[in-house]
Amino acid sequence: MTEIIHDIGRPRAAPGLGLAGDAHVGLLRQVLNILTRSPLATVGASILLAWSLLALLAPWVSPYPPNRIDVALVADPYPSAAHWLGVDHLGRDILSRLIWGARTVLTVAPIAVLGAVVLGVFLGLVSGYRGGFIDAVIMRIGDTLLAFPKIILYLIIIAKFGASAFNIIAVITLSSAPIIARIVRGVTLDVKNRDYVAAARMRGESALFIMFVEILPNARGPLIVDFFLRLGYTTIAIGVLGFLGVGLPPPDPDWGGMVKEAYGMIFVWPHMTIIPALAISSLVIGANFLATGLREASLDG
Amino acid sequence: MTEKLHPIIEKAGREFADGKLERREFLRLAVLLGVAAPAAYSMVGLAAPALAQGAPKKGGIVRIGMRVQDISSPHTYSWIESANSARQVLDYLTVTGIDNVTRPSLVEKWEASPDLKTWTLHLRKDVTWRKGRKFTADDAVWNLKRVLDDKTGSSVVGLLKGFILTEYDGGEKDAKGAPRKSVKLWDANAIQKVDDFTIKLNGNSANLSIPESLFHYPLLICSPEDGGKFGVGSDGTGAFELVEHEIGKRSVFAATKKAYWGGGPYIDRYEIIDLGDDAAAQVSALASKQVDMIYQGAISTLPTVEKLPHVQVNSVATGYTAVARTHPIKPFDDKRVRQALRYATDNDAVLKGALRGLGKPGEHHHVAPVHPEYADIGYLKQDIAKAKALLAEAGYPNGIDVTIDARPQPDWELLAVQIMVEQWKEAGIRCKINVMPSAQYWANWTKVPFGFTTWAHRPLGTMILGLAYRTGAAWNEANWSNAEFDKLLTEAEGYLDVEKRRAVMAKLERIMLDDGPAVVPVWRAVFNYSDKKIKGYKIHPSIYIDAKDMWIDA
Amino acid sequence: MLRYSAKQLLNMALTLFAVSFLVFALNELSPGDVARKILGPYASESQVDHLTVQMGLDRPAIVRYFEYMGKALTGDFGDSIVFRMPVADLMFDRLGNTLLLAAISFAVIVPLSVVLGVLAGMRERGWFDRTISVFSSMCASIPEFAMGVFLLGIFVVWLGWLPGTSPLRSDSGWAIWMQFVLPVLVVTFYDAGYLIAMVRSSMVEVMRQPYIRTALLKGMSFNRVVSRHALRNALITPFTVILLQLNYLVSGLVVVETLFAYPGFGRMMLEAALAKDIAVIEAGTLIAVSVTMLTQLFGDLGYMALDPRIRV
Repeated sequence: MTEIIHDIGRPRAAPGLGLAGDAHVGLLRQVLNILTRSPLATVGASILLAWSLLALLAPWVSPYPPNRIDVALVADPYPSAAHWLGVDHLGRDILSRLIWGARTVLTVAPIAVLGAVVLGVFLGLVSGYRGGFIDAVIMRIGDTLLAFPKIILYLIIIAKFGASAFNIIAVITLSSAPIIARIVRGVTLDVKNRDYVAAARMRGESALFIMFVEILPNARGPLIVDFFLRLGYTTIAIGVLGFLGVGLPPPDPDWGGMVKEAYGMIFVWPHMTIIPALAISSLVIGANFLATGLREASLDG
Repeated sequence: MTEKLHPIIEKAGREFADGKLERREFLRLAVLLGVAAPAAYSMVGLAAPALAQGAPKKGGIVRIGMRVQDISSPHTYSWIESANSARQVLDYLTVTGIDNVTRPSLVEKWEASPDLKTWTLHLRKDVTWRKGRKFTADDAVWNLKRVLDDKTGSSVVGLLKGFILTEYDGGEKDAKGAPRKSVKLWDANAIQKVDDFTIKLNGNSANLSIPESLFHYPLLICSPEDGGKFGVGSDGTGAFELVEHEIGKRSVFAATKKAYWGGGPYIDRYEIIDLGDDAAAQVSALASKQVDMIYQGAISTLPTVEKLPHVQVNSVATGYTAVARTHPIKPFDDKRVRQALRYATDNDAVLKGALRGLGKPGEHHHVAPVHPEYADIGYLKQDIAKAKALLAEAGYPNGIDVTIDARPQPDWELLAVQIMVEQWKEAGIRCKINVMPSAQYWANWTKVPFGFTTWAHRPLGTMILGLAYRTGAAWNEANWSNAEFDKLLTEAEGYLDVEKRRAVMAKLERIMLDDGPAVVPVWRAVFNYSDKKIKGYKIHPSIYIDAKDMWIDA
Repeated sequence: MLRYSAKQLLNMALTLFAVSFLVFALNELSPGDVARKILGPYASESQVDHLTVQMGLDRPAIVRYFEYMGKALTGDFGDSIVFRMPVADLMFDRLGNTLLLAAISFAVIVPLSVVLGVLAGMRERGWFDRTISVFSSMCASIPEFAMGVFLLGIFVVWLGWLPGTSPLRSDSGWAIWMQFVLPVLVVTFYDAGYLIAMVRSSMVEVMRQPYIRTALLKGMSFNRVVSRHALRNALITPFTVILLQLNYLVSGLVVVETLFAYPGFGRMMLEAALAKDIAVIEAGTLIAVSVTMLTQLFGDLGYMALDPRIRV
């Protein structure tokens, strides 16, 4: 989990500012524009879209209930006409578990990242706009949180409070927010003394209005790129937690947990481990391709 | 049989002849009361089980994957793994074999007084410590006194408390500051040295299982010169010497130079290698021949190991299980709901799915077929319609929503829970699973309202029922209380006669089916893995491992 | 620079204090039962009480915290419940193993990513750049456990060339160096994927600078421009990032160490967290946090030294 490094490693704030340089062009059109220009982004977006559709339509496209156990099937668990991706060590259909598992990861990861964005944006704006004591306190707390290697922070907190979707979301939100706060604070410091912000202040707009309406749009570009990168790393993080045995509780399918459960049987039934590992990888690749594509395209402006 | 037999044996012999007593129970009784095991076997017309698999060859190394723990204080061990390290160097006074029969070891022969209060232990006269001194009664007495000393903190105290110890107020306080009773030997002469090779244990109440208690795993006989400490180079009467020990990494034992009094050892070196708790890593090590044995098998690795051509799976039936037990709070306060839980469970499927068939299906009462007083009252078949009807009767026509707490190790437990939860779903019992790390589970195991708890094997059915289901017992994790059950249990405990106990046991088992707090899905077999080249090894129900019997067939 | 370092070190001490208190407080929220954990679930209640009093765990948390910190300052971090040994010894040993794995991986990753990154970034959008970009992006996207599973499937299950575990003992039937191959490979794929992308984008940025174009227009050979002018500037930004990898390599190896039963720091922390082995969690967290902050400090200092325009 190099996530922390990825962020700190970009001392000049996130590249890709060009995306929102001019806030008047419709965001959606910009995105579509980029998608059509960057093959990488197109591939990434298609992977994400495919998984999202499967997750959304899980009750209709999943061939079996994901938790249905049929011990008799374990005798021949390999892929077959009835079970395209085979069954796992309890005779559960792997394809169905993948599809339902996509639902889990595609709910938990975006919520966690959105939570981090909301919290981080708020803290970053306040910190950058207000400055002074509030800034110092917020950044201090953020730095302390960032000083923890993430995986260790996750382990301590989740081993402490138990593994549940809520706790996983909370811990990811908490540990990612400081970095987003930094990005937003940087942008805020950059623009808060510009004319149009001063003008808004003169008009007597509230601080809240200035922060969210005048300043925030400037951070839109880096935030969007960061969102997809973070989505990828959060997917990895959820998978890692599952693999280490502190992921979402069974029986509902969790990709990382599927890898862990079957890992001991890799010598006889490799498909039970390798297929969910491929699924996680593909989702992260999708998110990262999309992020990279967006950034490159925006750099080309 | 020229010697006078204990009166109980004479009676038991008659019962056996009448077909009222099972062979195993007769053997247990006879050997317990001082008949040598081979003699006891011959009394019931059986040959003693032999481990021989051809003539043992000398030489070689056996490496086993097991946790390497702090083993510096044998008398206070609380893990089998620790004892499995030290037992290569230190001996026990007695040994309970894989057939559940206790035999002589450093104690060559024992006799019990007719009232079972006084036990005379005759020690072997041909044993010397590795460093040259002769093993005598002084050594044994020193060890016995030390484990029974309150200050040592050995769990042997709990076993022999009623027999030979008495409580008194020594002014000590427990963790919460409440006064705590101390214990001491009830009489200055309770552990009596008769001569250099004879000891008398003078108890103040009857105790039938002294020889079995002497094999309690912390009761390793250390050299008094080591002061109860154990480590590299420590003296011992055993077949090996500890030459290297690094916690969390490995222990190395070398065969002693001179012949071991008990036969063997055949191998030159025995190494314990710490592979961590991850079962998959253990099997990788076994597959790539980094180790020759794994201390304990895990269900998740069984399919792999079954396909490794050079490895065999050793297993033995036991009374080990895990039970899904409920606290008497809504909705489980109604016994019909608890019955519904049992009717909704398909024990055969749990056994097949969670244990790959290694074991026996449970019968929802906590007395196993391996227990001498087990009464066969039939197998409760899954009946979803009946479960639904019971729930409706109890006022839950739309089913119930509950959460069960479980832990991830050993892995079969979580599999069993997942299987049961799917089965229960059909009956309208919608159950969520809350997985806690083991440490957390054990900190709360008696407090969670609905949990899945491991229960280790106990030699007698009455023991387990007394520990886990009697009103107010410390380990009555279900907070269950049934006056009729308590009364019958006390009655059963009063019978030495197995047939009488069995008759009462049948009633106890029926009460558990009707009113009991638990789903008992399986009796699990204990199993581990060893390279086929290792001979002379058979798995013990408590997974005690003696390297002195092993030899390598290259 | 000296003042900056002093200030940062003070900062570090304060953060460490805050972290130690946080971790301790977190564990005190539900102290579990330390004595029970040591003795196992089947020990009697009186044995547990006995040990609780003996270990002084019946005293208030705040007293124990300051006692712990006092001892920690002298290098005594208490005893581990799980590993049954002094935490200091355990930590030293495990950290040593992890540093070894980290050092080997580092020695592979850095040259590999610098070379590939520079080669890719040198000719932006050339076929080599495209290939390397996609490849590195994919590598960085595959979680370590998934990569571990794939490689294990190929080299251990299928081909049988490499050992499945890495306990670091020569008597295990596999040479020690072979036990390093898979862990190092997994770490390399994951981490180099990211580093290559970093070096590449820095290189691309430099190659777009006017002075490079000018040099090329003046007729200087491409190779000369790259080696004389572009390289140094292109490696300034990645320098910090490369240094920060140390951080990941110390505490981020949990997954790899778990996969291959490697006796390292990360796996120790996992086991400690699951068993709530407070002494190990405390000490391990402090070490991990120190490593993070020290690498950051060195990163900043190095950055200053390399790029004279930056003043902190």
